[in-house]
Amino acid sequence: MPTKFLLFVAATVLCLPNSASAEDISFNRDVRPILSEYCFACHGFDAKQRKADLRLDVAEGAYAERDGDTPLKPGNLMESELWLRVISDNPEEVMPPPATKKKLTAEQKETLRKWIEQGAKYQKHWAFEVPVKPTEPAVKNSAWAKNPVDRFILARLEKANLTPRPEANRSTLIRRVAFALTGLPPTPAEVAEYEADQTPQAYDNMVDRFLKSPRYGEEMARSWLDIARYADTHGMHLDNERSMWAYRDWVIKSFNDNKPFDQFTIEQLAGDLLPNPTKDQLVATGFNRCNVTTSEGGSIEAEFTYRYAVDRTSTMIESWMGLTGGCAVCHDHKFDPISQREFYSLYSFFYSAADPAMDRNATTTDPFYKLFTDETTAALTKAQAEEAEAKRLLEDVVSKVEYQDPSTQQPAPERRAVEEVWLDDLVPMAAKATCTSRNASLWSTAPEVEPPIGRRALKQIGAANYQDKFETPTQPLRIPEAAKVFVWVRLDTQEPPDAIMVELGSAAGARKAIWGDPQRFSATRMDKNWLGELPAAGTWTRLEIPLEKLDIKPGEEIRSLAFSQFGGITWWDGLTVTGDTTPATDLRSSFAAWWKDRTGKDTLGLPADLTPVLKDGPEKNPTADLREKLLRFYLAYIARPANPDVQQRLTAWLTAQTVRAAIEESVPGTFIFKNLDQPREAFVMLRGQYDKPGEKVEPAVPAIFPALQKSAPDARASRLDLAKWLLAPEHPLTARVTVNRVWQQFLGTGLVKTSSDFGSQGEVPSHPELLDWLAVWYRENGWNTKALVKLMVTSATFRQDAHVTPDLLKVDPENRLYARGPRFRLDAEQIRDNVLYVSGLINLQMGGRGIKGYQPPNIWEPVGYADSNTRFYLQDHGADLYRRSIYAFLKRTAPPPFMSNFDAPNREQACARRERSNTPLQALQLMNDTQHFEAARAFGERIVTEGGNTPEERITFAYRVVLSRQPQPEELAIVKQALDSYLIRFNKDPEAAKKVVAVGESKPKSGRPEPELAAYTLLANLVLNLDETVMRN
Amino acid sequence: MFPTDLISRRQALSRTAVGFGSLALASLLANDAQAAPAIVDPLAPKAPHFPARAKRVIFLFMKGGPSHLDTFDPKPLLDRDDGKPLPFAKPRVQFAPTGNLLKSPWKFQQHGESGSWVSELFPHFAKCVDDACFIHSVHGTNPAHGGALLKLHTGSDNFVRPSMGSWVTYGLGTENKDLPAFITICPTLAHGGINNWSSAFLPAVYQGMPLGNASVPSDKAQVRYIANANLPRDVQRLQLDRLRAMNLQHQAQSGPEPALEARINSFELAFRMQTEMPQVENIADESLETQKLYGMDDPITANFGRMCLMARRFAERGVRFIQVTHSDGNVQWDQHGNLKAGHEKNAREVDRPIAGLMQDLKARGLLEDTLVWWGGEFGRTPTVEGGSNGRDHNPEGFTMWLAGGGTKPGYHHGATDDYGYYAAQDKVHIHDLHATILHLLGLNHEKLTYRYAGRDFRLTDVEGNVVHQIMKT
Repeated sequence: MPTKFLLFVAATVLCLPNSASAEDISFNRDVRPILSEYCFACHGFDAKQRKADLRLDVAEGAYAERDGDTPLKPGNLMESELWLRVISDNPEEVMPPPATKKKLTAEQKETLRKWIEQGAKYQKHWAFEVPVKPTEPAVKNSAWAKNPVDRFILARLEKANLTPRPEANRSTLIRRVAFALTGLPPTPAEVAEYEADQTPQAYDNMVDRFLKSPRYGEEMARSWLDIARYADTHGMHLDNERSMWAYRDWVIKSFNDNKPFDQFTIEQLAGDLLPNPTKDQLVATGFNRCNVTTSEGGSIEAEFTYRYAVDRTSTMIESWMGLTGGCAVCHDHKFDPISQREFYSLYSFFYSAADPAMDRNATTTDPFYKLFTDETTAALTKAQAEEAEAKRLLEDVVSKVEYQDPSTQQPAPERRAVEEVWLDDLVPMAAKATCTSRNASLWSTAPEVEPPIGRRALKQIGAANYQDKFETPTQPLRIPEAAKVFVWVRLDTQEPPDAIMVELGSAAGARKAIWGDPQRFSATRMDKNWLGELPAAGTWTRLEIPLEKLDIKPGEEIRSLAFSQFGGITWWDGLTVTGDTTPATDLRSSFAAWWKDRTGKDTLGLPADLTPVLKDGPEKNPTADLREKLLRFYLAYIARPANPDVQQRLTAWLTAQTVRAAIEESVPGTFIFKNLDQPREAFVMLRGQYDKPGEKVEPAVPAIFPALQKSAPDARASRLDLAKWLLAPEHPLTARVTVNRVWQQFLGTGLVKTSSDFGSQGEVPSHPELLDWLAVWYRENGWNTKALVKLMVTSATFRQDAHVTPDLLKVDPENRLYARGPRFRLDAEQIRDNVLYVSGLINLQMGGRGIKGYQPPNIWEPVGYADSNTRFYLQDHGADLYRRSIYAFLKRTAPPPFMSNFDAPNREQACARRERSNTPLQALQLMNDTQHFEAARAFGERIVTEGGNTPEERITFAYRVVLSRQPQPEELAIVKQALDSYLIRFNKDPEAAKKVVAVGESKPKSGRPEPELAAYTLLANLVLNLDETVMRN
Repeated sequence: MFPTDLISRRQALSRTAVGFGSLALASLLANDAQAAPAIVDPLAPKAPHFPARAKRVIFLFMKGGPSHLDTFDPKPLLDRDDGKPLPFAKPRVQFAPTGNLLKSPWKFQQHGESGSWVSELFPHFAKCVDDACFIHSVHGTNPAHGGALLKLHTGSDNFVRPSMGSWVTYGLGTENKDLPAFITICPTLAHGGINNWSSAFLPAVYQGMPLGNASVPSDKAQVRYIANANLPRDVQRLQLDRLRAMNLQHQAQSGPEPALEARINSFELAFRMQTEMPQVENIADESLETQKLYGMDDPITANFGRMCLMARRFAERGVRFIQVTHSDGNVQWDQHGNLKAGHEKNAREVDRPIAGLMQDLKARGLLEDTLVWWGGEFGRTPTVEGGSNGRDHNPEGFTMWLAGGGTKPGYHHGATDDYGYYAAQDKVHIHDLHATILHLLGLNHEKLTYRYAGRDFRLTDVEGNVVHQIMKT
């Protein structure tokens, strides 16, 4: 295959420049890749797959005599069976066997020959040797090197007879640095500041300014969130929303605070096990909660508990150790020394997770941590106290009520008018509330909406048939005589629903009242419960529910209230019933009537001692004391208020309750990771099947690595021990893997190109000494990430100009030797943020719940499940449309297309390296996406209003803002000509201009003529779509 | 060397084919076999491993589980023993509990010279059975929609793997430079959604291009971002010409960059697609007779009919892999209950369009080298679910059919047991089916590999046996 061919080419060209000469063969550099590719599958680490009981991955296996033959006789070619098999013509003997369809090349054979002749020396795979800081190599052109990084790069270049490119010009440099460190271009003012600084520290100063920007954390966090597989939904089945954004914000803050990588590691893997963990340390454990979860009915819990632990283990192995653990889930790893047993020993660190196998499709799956601040804690404590006091005051005033049961009064009191509010600020007492979102009901207060009555209104948002249902077992809701029922409703202006519905449920079934498109609730306009079209959006409307039409009769007991809407945003408030009652039989006037009614029935919400009293009925003659207590309960919580004092205190108590609930609900939370109190026993799972446990395992690390230090010798190893083990100086991988990823981020390709595979099937490093030097330097410098970043971006290597000559392209097409500066396409987020930034539309607000920007229609809607709470994409409006891309809401089964189009992963699994593809869909997006084109419009307007008065000045302005440089005369000429033709076109066709200018939700502010704005929109669009613009040069 | 004047459209297009960039690069790299792969067009047509019988695939995917017992796999014993218990054990893993045997509510008849059994659900397709090649012994491993769907499309039910269309495109490239190589018409976004047409670790150029999705009527199906509602086309063309001129000018400064060359080309393909896609989607130039053939004259069949007709139009334009999904926003072929009405509605929607597609392909000589493939992610149980009118998911044995593309016409391969629960004879696993389809396309499923995460991956993982019996001799 071409890819394999390329891989080999890369290895030979870059790593074996002199392999044909008599130079010493290195096992790790030269031989291991060959053996790994051709031999280890049958003669390697995996005992089960091993053929002829022969191991070639260790010297002991290869040197041992077997039946008179020796696979490898150091120094003796013709007595080495391996060599004889490799050169054999006999299809029965030749290795690799013809059936594998693998064939050694002449060069590879030559390498093996020399290796055997030179003594067939083995080394541990390079990545499992502890890195030792190498001495910086001698170089001829030492003046070029700005720091030790450059000496390693230069030494390699000099060996290949290449010379580095000169330093790029300042405008290129500042744009490169700004994108690298903040994901945004520099402003013209920043360019001017840098260009004006003529001190020798000018470059360092410029770098420092960007390192201090809060944008730095946002840019750095992107790659880590790819590793952590962070997203805003569960991932499977309904793919409902989950609340995890506090973890995302923690990552951003950690980079901005320059949290040392060892702390960063410990807090994410084991923050919960630290002594008295802080809020942030608990939030950090969200790393291990970012995996995909399910709650699909019929799923087998044991299977998912198992799968989550496998995911967490594999993610840890890939993220910190740069190895592919997945192979060892089912069998011993064929290429790397991780046995299946060792994999499951690592897995047992994660197998005792406290989170449930089924996520409940809820936003708040446990363990869920509420993010209280000092203020919210204080406010809640106060509100709780006030609520208790209000309750006490209510019961106090009720204790003084002189009650005479109307059923015993003579003459019986007259029928009288009543008004009852069945739903106001709170769920009816002891009601069972369910919501199709799987979450608690949502409530809005001012200023979001001003409720028509009380303090808050029930809010519904999103999914198809979104319903809040309240079953009311305690409060008797009886339809009075001559009753009328009303409800307040308000529809969102920008996202009105298709239809709304109220259901009143009684023993006779649920009676529905529908407004809007009746089909949404499986009805038609002919049905009598279709009550008309939707009320006007953006205002409160009081709708009447005509009882007669719905066949609801006086005296009927309503047991449930349900509010539904379809596909929009709706608020409900104040379901109110008016009518007449006869006090003697009214359940809320006559204690005796109420008690009789509840006799023999279960009633929720009573104090424990009263529950049986009520159910047993008055005939059972409870003690006078209990009877009195039940009466006082009735008067306080069930009956119509006996006098204005009771009314006033009842209202005060309900208000206090609402205030307390509103505070609780306003406090966001996030998924955190915790262990079960009792650890689960973990087993090797045979063939990776969740229901085939084999041998029992304890938490432990693979034998090839240094030993794990436990907190106490006889203690069970913990995740905290594991995290510390990863960071131990003798751990061969963590520092290497981490510096390699940072290098990849800034230079385009890792020193180890396969940044998630440092195993023997991965690529060997292009600069092994540099990798080790950086790894040790990073650790010795306290895992200081900003220092590491600065070291890289201030190197002469990074600062080279990216110009490529045909000769250089021939020698080093992928720029693995760094004889030129890095140049590659911007990432998805950078492409979007760039245009928002230069257009002036951007909103740099940080943190919080994911935002939903523009996207083409029908991306979320069809994801199968009508009751998913992420079924309907309800685009945000206003300033949220222009937030940075890192805050985009990520739904795993339907990620934002602007992200996936430009190779952002869908975050289902850890991703250490994004592709940089080039597809027509990307071009379509750049040509036609509303966000992109709107930004061009806004930028076009900026060009006209800020860019000077002549077309030339304005074009120059556009170039300076987007590319941080002046246009060349030829460019100016082309763009000017383009602008002229657009002006002619739009002056002739003002309708077309109007359409261009109308793109997006933001509006032009300058009042300039539309044809002019349209022409400059196209000019802006042209500059924003230039290859140079979407590249980091 | 850079253009000081605007490049005309004509010049611009001539540069696309053998433009400055590609010529310059080609000469630069002519002597350099090592660097050459870096600029090869990844979608250029590639020779198959051996002569292909089929050049392209149209996959008619019935989302859910069409019941083989009620369509193409009649079971006399099921009729006889209706209401009795299944006389052998049910599988260890079942999706939902089921009861006793349930006979098919539909009558079967033999059709064509092949004498193929078809139930009254498919009266139109019944006329095409002599062109179809039925496999009655397909089986999978996963009884849930999500896993089964992914298994069918990607060969894996639990890992993110490239979909079959991506593998085929990777193996063969495409013959039409103005259209995507892999198009999926109205795909379902549920149960793996995009993963069912994603290229996973294969380069992104091999991903499927969705045209609408399952809850959008096919006359409203569109490629995302296909048009700019705010910009006239002629202005956009002007704009692209300028962009190309500027990019080439920049290239002259920055040195030869394969990535830049590719970007220029992708803008051009995008623009051509903007022209070409609406043309293919616009079926107005088809005769009324043809439209009728696909059932466009009947509101019940018009939606799927349009999808099938578009599939033919893509096929004749050289698109490599075309998937057509029959589903509404939910799981359409999923009659746990309401089997009678549900299957009748589903079959009525697809029967005429499928028969029309078969006849049309045949009449145009396209059936020769177009492989048509029909099926769902599993079949259904012979035992009843719920009351008396439903069947559960059944991955243990079910029917799919192939047609054209070198398959044996009027042929029946394999069989389920006497009650249709398990594949019993000449079993064909999903992996085997994949291997066989690749084989028909001239690809050796063991050789079609991609190196990722340290190993060579295949569509068929480490499984798959080619079913040679179903191929025309």
